[in-house]
Amino acid sequence: MLQDILQNIVSGASIGATYGLVGLGVVFLWLTISRINFANISSAMLGAYLFYSFYTQLNLGFFISFVLSIGVIALYGLGLRVFIYEPIRKRGGGRLEFVVATLMLCTFWLNLIIVVYGALPKPFPPVFGGSNDFISLGGIRIPSLYLNIYLVIAILMVFIYFILNKTLIGKSFRAAAQNREAAALMGIDVKVTTSLSFIMATVVVGIAGILLAPIYFVSLELGGGSIGVKGFASAVLGGLTNPYGTILGGISLGLLENFSTLYISSTYRDIISFSVLVAVLILKPSGIFNWKRKKI
Amino acid sequence: MKLNKVLVVAMVMLIGVAALGAPIKVALVAPFTGLGSILGDYIKMGAQLALEEINAAGGVNGDKLEMIVYDDAANPSTAANVIRRALFQDNVVAVFGPNMSSSVIGVHQLAQQAKVPMLVGATSPSFRYSVIPNDFLFRLRADDKVKVIQLVKYAVEVLGIEKPGIIYGSTDYCIAALEVAKEEFPKYGIEIVAMEQIKEGDKDATGQLLKLKNAGFDGLIGLTHESEAAVSVNQLRQLQIDVPIIGFSAWGVPAFTDLAPEAAVGVYSVQGFNPVDPDPAVQAFVEAYKARWDGKEPSDPAQAYYDGMYLLADALRNVGTDGTKLAEYLANEARIVGVQGELKCDEHHNFTNVCLISQFDGKDWQIITKLY
Repeated sequence: MLQDILQNIVSGASIGATYGLVGLGVVFLWLTISRINFANISSAMLGAYLFYSFYTQLNLGFFISFVLSIGVIALYGLGLRVFIYEPIRKRGGGRLEFVVATLMLCTFWLNLIIVVYGALPKPFPPVFGGSNDFISLGGIRIPSLYLNIYLVIAILMVFIYFILNKTLIGKSFRAAAQNREAAALMGIDVKVTTSLSFIMATVVVGIAGILLAPIYFVSLELGGGSIGVKGFASAVLGGLTNPYGTILGGISLGLLENFSTLYISSTYRDIISFSVLVAVLILKPSGIFNWKRKKI
Repeated sequence: MKLNKVLVVAMVMLIGVAALGAPIKVALVAPFTGLGSILGDYIKMGAQLALEEINAAGGVNGDKLEMIVYDDAANPSTAANVIRRALFQDNVVAVFGPNMSSSVIGVHQLAQQAKVPMLVGATSPSFRYSVIPNDFLFRLRADDKVKVIQLVKYAVEVLGIEKPGIIYGSTDYCIAALEVAKEEFPKYGIEIVAMEQIKEGDKDATGQLLKLKNAGFDGLIGLTHESEAAVSVNQLRQLQIDVPIIGFSAWGVPAFTDLAPEAAVGVYSVQGFNPVDPDPAVQAFVEAYKARWDGKEPSDPAQAYYDGMYLLADALRNVGTDGTKLAEYLANEARIVGVQGELKCDEHHNFTNVCLISQFDGKDWQIITKLY
């Protein structure tokens, strides 16, 4: 029984970490330019499909495929700024207009992928080990795939912490987010920081997409399934500003789901977990895992 | 004056010739965009292959068949729109599709109104003739109830499962199958020890599988779609729970085994079609299909609509293009041998009950038994 509980904790935390990883993209854009990108999850889908094309269809090898995919995603992030964010801003549109535009963009990408690749999920090449490989720790089985995810999350955490707190770029990000005009007056090139924000937010989620594809398959679920909503939920649990809180939020959501299944009912799982999420938001709208709201 | 007469006679003759040679129009309604788009291609290629064969052999009493293809995007309201156009503007003599059960339930009355037969490949038992008595609605392949009955029979009688545990999805397809399984197991005096749901899109089934294990299940019955089938067997293998696995039709297709090529080895499934079926009719179809469509392999819906086109041609040959007569003929007299064996309308308005029990060997589905 104890073993079942531990196994359930490991599996729940692992799937939850994937939600958190997706939530990081949301947090990053909010932290830097105070915008919510509803097409956040599309970057994950694009990352996975691009990698699939480069690796499986064009046989370019892991490294080239990865770099090319991320390169295209970075360009896409830049495109988001140039073709969506800036035009809306220049014509007096605010956060709401950006939300609506990106919401439609999310549907656009889903349909484009259906037209180009079809709707059937495709198997992801076993570049991170076979789908059945696992390591066993005292009878608890951890799929090897998840070890990569843990590793990347750890690297991203350190990277984000470093960028935001220890570099001039991080300072300019925060300055521009707080007051765009004042930041520009102080000599910060707001265009550059905004571009960088978009690029980093899409690249983080694009990497997440490639990492998650062995679990989610190269499928439309990566661009429109429940993972997008759960990514947002994780970000909100972290108060939209705390990357570490976001990962913790995702993990809690995964645990909540798995324990609802094990002890209550698999049928009511989503009802239970989303009720808890709503309740938590009502009780603490700033995010329960947001211990340092003002400053990272 | 003389010239005018000649012209009139010529025109009358032309119209006559045109009328004689006017093709018989049939509609094909299938999803080519949206989530079910892969099915549309199979359906169209199967139906068109049959149509080309029929026309090459002289058509129907000298008339050629012409197929007008409509995209319903797997959406009931789009299906209703395109079927209205097919029936009331394009005046087709028969409609193939839609292929989604929800769409069929939404549009079948249009066929009744227009008195035009509708031949579908959708498999939900919810529109069997006993439930929806529409004289113009026919089904071209075995329905899901038949398949689950055979699945349960095989699970109990051959695999010796005494404590079945079920994992099922949340769509109509899965719930309808679950209901049949809940009816069938007790007929063998067997109680289902646990039933756990995995929602479409879920990627972790640990909680569900542990619950089944704790309930002491000795066999997994899979009633989910392809992706969730892959998630379930992958995790069952990871948790090293060693029980026989038998799945519903979505567990017997490449869309599942491609996603879990290793974990799926040894899984049993009930299938409607298997390209390695040694039946000469199946092999002839597979070869013709591959030759026509650049080596692509056919699937279950392709064979169903291929058979359907031959059924319709047979009916047209015997009773002409009147919709009511066609429907009566299809219901009472039509009897041909197709890819799926003998096709004859039963009391549910299903033309066949053929299904196969197969086991995945890591590469192909090996047929264990074929049931009619």
